[in-house]
Amino acid sequence: MSLDELIETFVNLEEERVLKIVKRLIEEGKDPSEIFEACRRAAEFIGEKFENGEYFLSELVYAGEIFNNIMKVVLPLIRREIKPAGTILLGTVQGDIHDIGKNIFKVFAEAAGFKVIDIGVDVPPEKFVEAVKAYNPDIVGMSGLLTIAYDAMKRTVESLKEAGLRDKVKVIIGGGRVNEDIKRYTGADEWADNAVIGVKKCKQMLGLGDKIT
Amino acid sequence: MSAMKEVKPKSPEELVRERRERIEKAIELKEPDKVPLALFSSGDVLRKYVTGHELYFNYEKAREAAVKFVTNYQVDMFSPILGAEGFIFALAFAEYPDIAPAVRVWTGPMHDILKDKFAKWPGRELPEDSILQFIGGQFMDAKEYANLPEDPITFINEVILPRSCINLEKIGSPKANAALVKLGAEAARARNFLVNLAMDLARVGVPSLPLTYAYAPLDCIGDFLRTPTGILIDIRRHPDDVKRACEALVEPIIKVAFALKSAGAKYASIPLHLNEYLSPKLYNEFYWSTLKKIIVALYEQGIKSLVFFEGWHDAHLETILDLPKGWGIARFEKTDVRKAKRVLAGHTCIMGGVPSSLLLGATPSKISEYIKTLLKEMKLEGGFILANDVDIPKNVPPENLKALIEAVEKEGRY
Repeated sequence: MSLDELIETFVNLEEERVLKIVKRLIEEGKDPSEIFEACRRAAEFIGEKFENGEYFLSELVYAGEIFNNIMKVVLPLIRREIKPAGTILLGTVQGDIHDIGKNIFKVFAEAAGFKVIDIGVDVPPEKFVEAVKAYNPDIVGMSGLLTIAYDAMKRTVESLKEAGLRDKVKVIIGGGRVNEDIKRYTGADEWADNAVIGVKKCKQMLGLGDKIT
Repeated sequence: MSAMKEVKPKSPEELVRERRERIEKAIELKEPDKVPLALFSSGDVLRKYVTGHELYFNYEKAREAAVKFVTNYQVDMFSPILGAEGFIFALAFAEYPDIAPAVRVWTGPMHDILKDKFAKWPGRELPEDSILQFIGGQFMDAKEYANLPEDPITFINEVILPRSCINLEKIGSPKANAALVKLGAEAARARNFLVNLAMDLARVGVPSLPLTYAYAPLDCIGDFLRTPTGILIDIRRHPDDVKRACEALVEPIIKVAFALKSAGAKYASIPLHLNEYLSPKLYNEFYWSTLKKIIVALYEQGIKSLVFFEGWHDAHLETILDLPKGWGIARFEKTDVRKAKRVLAGHTCIMGGVPSSLLLGATPSKISEYIKTLLKEMKLEGGFILANDVDIPKNVPPENLKALIEAVEKEGRY
């Protein structure tokens, strides 16, 4: 069993096989952090397939499920601390309780090496502010699907400004209905209407380019 | 300088007739006198006039809000959705055409009566001035797929409703029976509400399409039985079970859609949800194969479909050509209507073109310019209805909506 096989089966979304390979690799004494790294690379290949139109959202959702199932086995075995690429504070904004997009983004951000602090759905601006103070993230990710989310995002950015925190964080908005106009309207730094682009922009905002694998 | 000609304002009846004809011509792929403009709202913009709670729980106030909106913004059609997706309830009563359509638009009082878990409501699970949010839920285990195909309607009544509605937990209990009696009375009120709403809008000159309702089978399972994420995983782990379940839902869905035929329904509203999630292969295999059957069956019986292709539908545009020419209206959310026209011109009436982000974030002059450019291409040879993508944000500047209406008036004439 090799890490290459793991990557290939994961990218092909062969759920049963990939989980068997992970178990075999662990039994054979493979370093769990190497397995983790391989999964991260696989997630990146999956992201590439999404970007070039070969994969769709359903493949991202399924890949997220597979990734989480592998992590349940692998993460408890990792002893050494993995230094995150950055910290993202993530939540669906006030008034909106949709979380499918947020959850897909979370998996792919974690797979890209980010530490993600998920503060849930229907998060009021003041809770974002408190959480920024508490966790000191590099990036604030605000998710939302409905049109009511636009104003909630704008209010959250304003609250960060009033608390003197706006310059300390990068802000990205995400959701199926955000775009450049909404980015401008809300005062965010970036926007993404899918998880893969979202992760890419998070890397860019921290000056990491595509260096993280 | 020409002398000002005094124009007698048109009566609401004349306006309704004129606008309805405009829309019908576009649906028939012809050129009307002007590109029709339709606006859709799930309620966000109506919170300018009433609270989110009032919008879904107080039929009178909801009607007033809709009338205020169209009085201020005269468009060819306004379609407010003032309830939650209630298709699962319509399916539960699919054998009863007098009941099924009355519970399709699930209103606030109905939610109070059954205490269902499919949506969260302002003034109940959400703050007073929020808007209604459908979340669906997992009310069926993946192992139970086998129990659905034989008799989906009974399965929904006996298994899904007790799990998804607190007050129907124990079928046959006094509580459940009382809830159903109350639901019957409320359904009649809700039905009247929709009829009255259409009449109110007509009184200010705005027609409504005579609608009935259908659903894509895979969305039905995703929204009401397994959650969207759940069904996307099921199609990998249990593909044959999912296909059988979708097939089994085709007939009951058609029954629900036909329930309003005798009442004059001419169009079936079909909002799609999982279309943009699926690759062409999965879309054809799990989604389109059964949805297509429904659209064709309705068309053959004189009901055209108004399909809302939510999100990006670019990858599946060609499949629409599988349908008979003039089958109905393809309403797009994010897919560029120009791209759609290049594929569907002369075959399908296209609806869409105005992003809500433009209405919210742009200036009136930018909107005029946008509409001018868009219509130059889209109005050619008819078959196009200009519409907003999904909802109108509450804080949309009034001058932007006016700019939209004026731009269509100016640039939309044939």
